[in-house]
Amino acid sequence: MKKSLATLGVLAAAALALSGCTDSAAPPAASPGASGDAEPTEMTTVRVAALPIAETGALWAAMEEGIFEEHGLEIEVVPAQGGANAIPALLSGDIQFAIGQPFGPIRADQQDLGVVIVGNYANSNAEGDDVNAVVALGDSGITRPADLAGKKVSVNTIGAAGDLTIRKAVQDDGGDPSSIEFVEVIFPDVPAQLEAGTMDAAWAPDPFRGIVLGAGGVSVVQPYQATIPGLTVLTSITTQALLDEDPELVAAYAEAMAEALEWAASNEEAVRAAIATNLEIPEEAAAGITLPTFTWDLADAGIEELGDLAVEFAYIEAAPDYETMIQQQ
Amino acid sequence: MRTDVTTGGHDEVAQQTQTATDAGRFRRGRRTRSARKIALGVAGIVGFLVTWQLLPTLGIVDPRYFPTATETLAQLGEDVRDLEFWRNVGRTLTKWGLGLLIATVLATVLGTIIGLVPFLRRATHTTVEFLRPIPSVALIPLAVLLFGYQIQSALLIIVYASFWQVFIQVLYGVADVDAVARDTARSFGLSRGSRVVNLVFPTALPYLMTGLRLAAAVALILAITAEMFIGNPGLGREIVFAQSAGNWPAVYALVIVTGVLGLIINLVFRAIERRTLSWHQSVRGEDVL
Repeated sequence: MKKSLATLGVLAAAALALSGCTDSAAPPAASPGASGDAEPTEMTTVRVAALPIAETGALWAAMEEGIFEEHGLEIEVVPAQGGANAIPALLSGDIQFAIGQPFGPIRADQQDLGVVIVGNYANSNAEGDDVNAVVALGDSGITRPADLAGKKVSVNTIGAAGDLTIRKAVQDDGGDPSSIEFVEVIFPDVPAQLEAGTMDAAWAPDPFRGIVLGAGGVSVVQPYQATIPGLTVLTSITTQALLDEDPELVAAYAEAMAEALEWAASNEEAVRAAIATNLEIPEEAAAGITLPTFTWDLADAGIEELGDLAVEFAYIEAAPDYETMIQQQ
Repeated sequence: MRTDVTTGGHDEVAQQTQTATDAGRFRRGRRTRSARKIALGVAGIVGFLVTWQLLPTLGIVDPRYFPTATETLAQLGEDVRDLEFWRNVGRTLTKWGLGLLIATVLATVLGTIIGLVPFLRRATHTTVEFLRPIPSVALIPLAVLLFGYQIQSALLIIVYASFWQVFIQVLYGVADVDAVARDTARSFGLSRGSRVVNLVFPTALPYLMTGLRLAAAVALILAITAEMFIGNPGLGREIVFAQSAGNWPAVYALVIVTGVLGLIINLVFRAIERRTLSWHQSVRGEDVL
């Protein structure tokens, strides 16, 4: 008796819940893009790993716009958790492309894993507001890069472009880069951890940089802009194996991405709207995010400079073989 | 869990009749006891919620990063009306169920075979003791290298962790067969198969059930961990997404959901354990005491 009552209760609750139910994953009723009369061409599904961050907005927006469909590609975005997993997943063949920091391929090159940068994705901004910065609390007494010497500074992953460029910026400002103590704090935790005193300064992108600055914090240095102006934030990565086996697919992807990124660069509103929907953040927050410079062109990506800097600070033993590592498609 | 099953068969029979005759007398006492139990449980939950509500309200922790109980529960209320939320619950439970099933079958078969053959036990002992303490999460890079972001990579992590829980229990359970009972069975000329079914299985069953209950909890933890760190779709991945968007009420709402799932799984497995082992001293003991 008791049991059947309980069952009834659960059923009633379920009925009640379902009657007012929504579906956040439902596809939008009609695509607002120009994809309208798609020819019945054969679509190739391509799995692309991308981080669930604001920069991915360009990809989401371009997909909605139907740019990839025009190139016969159906993109399936695999939300990668941190860049570290993307390279093993590429090597496993489960995904064909990844959008990730250039430091992954640089490290992979040291082990000859056959990971290739086939194109750019987004450069940091060579002037004005950059996409990330080292921030500190207003009363921390840290105002310039040299002040970071002997302090605790957080980055999201130690041993990549963040701490490397911070070291360089501190050195250029006359500080001792070896005296900085780096700690790993994921970006969303930065505002809370700064206030809690876990670290003295933090490297963070928007919206987390904005939260700290809005609460009276100071922007100490924009390490990318200060050391390698316009250094690439994210690149498009694949494997040598795919390049050899299916050059047509890589070429189609390259062509589509080049067009998508060019479109995204001149359609900021669409990108911001895609960020707001996909990251489920308020429109105002998406509007305040500093966007990078979207481009497929690797010419000004600064990867060689980053590699050389990595050798200078002994992050890697020898300069990567840029010829095999970077193959602009 | 190590209870002697086979000795004192008379005591068991005596206890059984005792339980039957006392059932009426005990029912009333049991009812007030269970009422008190429920009241205490409710008081515990209310106390927890009030403490939670007060922590951010009084500013003991920063309310911007730690939402109040009401805020979180409101978010949870919105979540449960979203179909995608239930799909994610389904995805997590699918991994959990598949992983647990594979681990249990593998562990039961291997545990029984290895446990019954002394040579195999000695030969595998060191390897088992070496492999067992390896944290499953440490295998994530290997799993991703093998299977990418597919469900198999999560299953590898789940099966590895929950396998040992069942395997070790079965191993000890199979070895726990009473010497007198074994000799009796042998002198009665029971075949090997009959001995496994009538002697080894009942002895090992309580061990297996314990292992299964432990493994069920471990499998859920690892299913969510895999989703968080590999990125397989499911509740774990949703937690990371909400976190990277700085949406703290959503994070805590999902954390509550994972806790409730764990609770339900534990209750279900306790019930299964009680039902399958209703004949066993350890379960009957609980009733009489």
